[in-house]
Amino acid sequence: MNFGLNVPVIRLLIVKDWQLFQKQLAAYVLAGFAALTLLGLAKPWAFYLGSLALIVVLVAAACFAIATSLLVERKEQTLAFVMSLPVSPLDFTAAKLLGNLLTFGVPFAVLLLGTLVVILTTPLPDGLVILALLLFGHVLLAYSVSLAVAMQVESEGWNTFAMIGSMVLINPFLMAIGQIEAIQGPLRGDAIAWSLPAALILAGQLLVSAAALAGTAWWQGRKAAFY
Amino acid sequence: MTPPRPAAPAASFDAGPAVRIHALDHLRALAMLAGVLFHAALAYSPLLGSYWPAADRENWWGVDALAWLLHLVRMPLFFLVAGYFTASLLERRGMSGLARQRARRILVPFVVAWPLVDGSLALATEWAAAAVAHPSPMLRLIRDWLAQPDPPSLPPRTGHLWFLYYLLLFSVLLWALRTLGWGARLERWMEKGPQHLAWALPLLLWPGFMATGSPHPAPESLLPEAWALAVFGPFFALGLGLHGRLEWLAPLQRWLAPGGLLCLGLYALLADHWTTGATVARTAWAPALLEALIAAWGTLVVLLVGLRFLAQPSPVLRYLSASAYWTYLVHLPLLFALQYPLMDLAWPWPLKFAAAVAATTTLCLLSFELLVRRTPLQRFVG
Amino acid sequence: MTAAFAVKGLRKHYPDFALQDVDLTLPQGQVMGLVGVNGAGKTTLLRLLTGLAAPDAGSIEVLGCRLPDEQVAAKRQLGFASEDMRLYRGQSLDWHIDLVRRIYPEWDDAYARELIARFDLKPAQALGGYSHGQRVKALLLLCLSRRPRLLLLDEPTTGLDPVARAEVLETLCDVLRDEGRSVLFSSHNTHDVERLADSIGFLHQGRLVAHADKERFLDNWRRVLCLGAAPGGLDGWPELVHVRAAGSQVELKVRAWRDDLPQRLSAAGLTVQRVDPMPLEDIFVTAVRAGGAA
Repeated sequence: MNFGLNVPVIRLLIVKDWQLFQKQLAAYVLAGFAALTLLGLAKPWAFYLGSLALIVVLVAAACFAIATSLLVERKEQTLAFVMSLPVSPLDFTAAKLLGNLLTFGVPFAVLLLGTLVVILTTPLPDGLVILALLLFGHVLLAYSVSLAVAMQVESEGWNTFAMIGSMVLINPFLMAIGQIEAIQGPLRGDAIAWSLPAALILAGQLLVSAAALAGTAWWQGRKAAFY
Repeated sequence: MTPPRPAAPAASFDAGPAVRIHALDHLRALAMLAGVLFHAALAYSPLLGSYWPAADRENWWGVDALAWLLHLVRMPLFFLVAGYFTASLLERRGMSGLARQRARRILVPFVVAWPLVDGSLALATEWAAAAVAHPSPMLRLIRDWLAQPDPPSLPPRTGHLWFLYYLLLFSVLLWALRTLGWGARLERWMEKGPQHLAWALPLLLWPGFMATGSPHPAPESLLPEAWALAVFGPFFALGLGLHGRLEWLAPLQRWLAPGGLLCLGLYALLADHWTTGATVARTAWAPALLEALIAAWGTLVVLLVGLRFLAQPSPVLRYLSASAYWTYLVHLPLLFALQYPLMDLAWPWPLKFAAAVAATTTLCLLSFELLVRRTPLQRFVG
Repeated sequence: MTAAFAVKGLRKHYPDFALQDVDLTLPQGQVMGLVGVNGAGKTTLLRLLTGLAAPDAGSIEVLGCRLPDEQVAAKRQLGFASEDMRLYRGQSLDWHIDLVRRIYPEWDDAYARELIARFDLKPAQALGGYSHGQRVKALLLLCLSRRPRLLLLDEPTTGLDPVARAEVLETLCDVLRDEGRSVLFSSHNTHDVERLADSIGFLHQGRLVAHADKERFLDNWRRVLCLGAAPGGLDGWPELVHVRAAGSQVELKVRAWRDDLPQRLSAAGLTVQRVDPMPLEDIFVTAVRAGGAA
């Protein structure tokens, strides 16, 4: 097994995926822009609509990035073309993981940062920071699981299930943390008060996300060949 | 039989592309330098007397008359020229080249200058709130604010650097729309000819002006402000469309004088409205329409005048143009730092105005010469 | 001279298929045609040769690289196109060329332009608008223009109309003039194999049942027409794969022709009327029907 990564080709593959995803991404950027502008109107209804639109855009962009770079490639048999290029399974995995983390990570980070800035610099109670982090933590977890499944499992049905299922779980998740008084209590306060349940949930989200991605990388990386 | 030759276009439209760039470069420089004049003049504006921290005890209606006319035209003109140069860059270096240029020339200066400018403005204002004997109403408000035991903090705002933020936003929008194939739409629209511009541009701007105060404020929020996108976006797009075909505007040349006069007439109406009812939130449809017409036609008039008279290379304009970016970045803290102490002096206001403008400009140019022109900073803000 | 590829004792198991004990070598500069029905193992063998699949047992060496470990180095020097390989429908041929050119330093732009003209392809058009034949030609162009030392083609002419097929074959013939380049291509079109190949490999149910020079391979086979009653036990003769009596005429198909066969047939009571060489198509069908006896 050759562990030396073929970096120039990995870069080309990432650029290739980016080019294939570009049109969709442009649409998401426009939608995100519209959502931010709604927030900028500083009206309660616009704030509600804008933040909802932002989450929808983030989730949709995450799912479609996975779909375009992995599922569609498999379905339309362009994968065979990519594998015929001088790449090892490890190169291929690295390109897919990095490329997806980039297309998801950049808007994710921007939105997360923007949300924190809005909470901390406006009259909104600062305690909401914890809720925001838990929410973004869930989206990250759902994305990581979906990405891991997409890289490991060929079945389109399972992939759709993983994506929709994990993202939709955000609703019960919100309800569940709504039941935990230790988390719910300080949300309206102006102090960022970490409770044990909140810290544990966030740590769990981060750990499982990292484990899902690392596990995928390890599993794919030790394969000597694609088939 | 030979077909009749079209009338010879005006000299500047006939000239090569390099000359045209000179004219636009000069216009951009003047638009930015007009910002220094504008901000300096606000201290003597009756309209802004209660909002501007550096407002002097003395003011004069004539300042309003000039400053707000300038205000309606200078940033639209700036965004139009920015659109033109963006298209030129895009053509020469492609989207990734444009992205790199935007990062180096706009993103980095914005991120670096913002806290510095914001901090120095806050310092100067806090000092003034404590020290000035004849404070403006706003300064008095700030003094009371600071006197509270635990003054609440305000959300961060971009201040006068908002134009950089909006250039970045427009670049992102440009990428997205172009990727989705909207470049062709702009092309098709441009093919219709400039006569449609006269009604279409004001109509596009109108809702934007209605959605904000009158005279319009600066869009300083970190969230994109819809009205600012609606008002400045069309100018940026027009600039994009004009790239490589400034002659497209030639048929408008004969409307230059009537258009200019019409703008002045409309502005008189608007100014009359302001004396009775300037607003800070929403604008009624009529004054908003006046603003839209003046911004659209006034900007085109200034553009055409510039293309006609500023097309020749000039060492002075060239230097001003090179230093304009830096000057605009740093002028406001300097201006405030100079105007706060001037508030207590018993000089007549025109003298204070002249002194503030002269000193600010000198300091800006001097610092450009010493800190930017021959240093690595030149790559970013030169 | 090293071989273009050499495999020994190759095995690969899938749940419902197995490639078994394949030994095969292709000398440099040679063209090998691989024939076999669908499911015979041609695609599996080609995947193993490109490093896309790892064997369960046996060794694979392609252009001096051991596979699958050195697949990156091997894939740099080989061109692989298969029937189930698709290009991106939303992108143009130019976009694909740009991608592949950046990966392969040997990319020959002039040759690519020549092929675009010869294949009559529109390089700026999105491939979604291409016909099947145009897509195959585009894929072939991407393979050939990188000037590979070994070309592995899985069913390159399947589904092509006669004109497109002729163009593709002519192009392959041009490639083969360069003696440094080797080609392995699979096809169930035996005419193509007969026209291009120097040697023929015959895969059946996961086994390589025959492999020889084209001339020798064809020379082994004969169709013999005899008069008389077929004697009992003729089916048991090892060199005969097909015996059919119609009235007083007996048709025999021979897979290991020897010059003494007419005499032996006479001795068995048959009068040999004529002996004909067999076209590859006939050999192929006969061999498959006989359960891979080649």
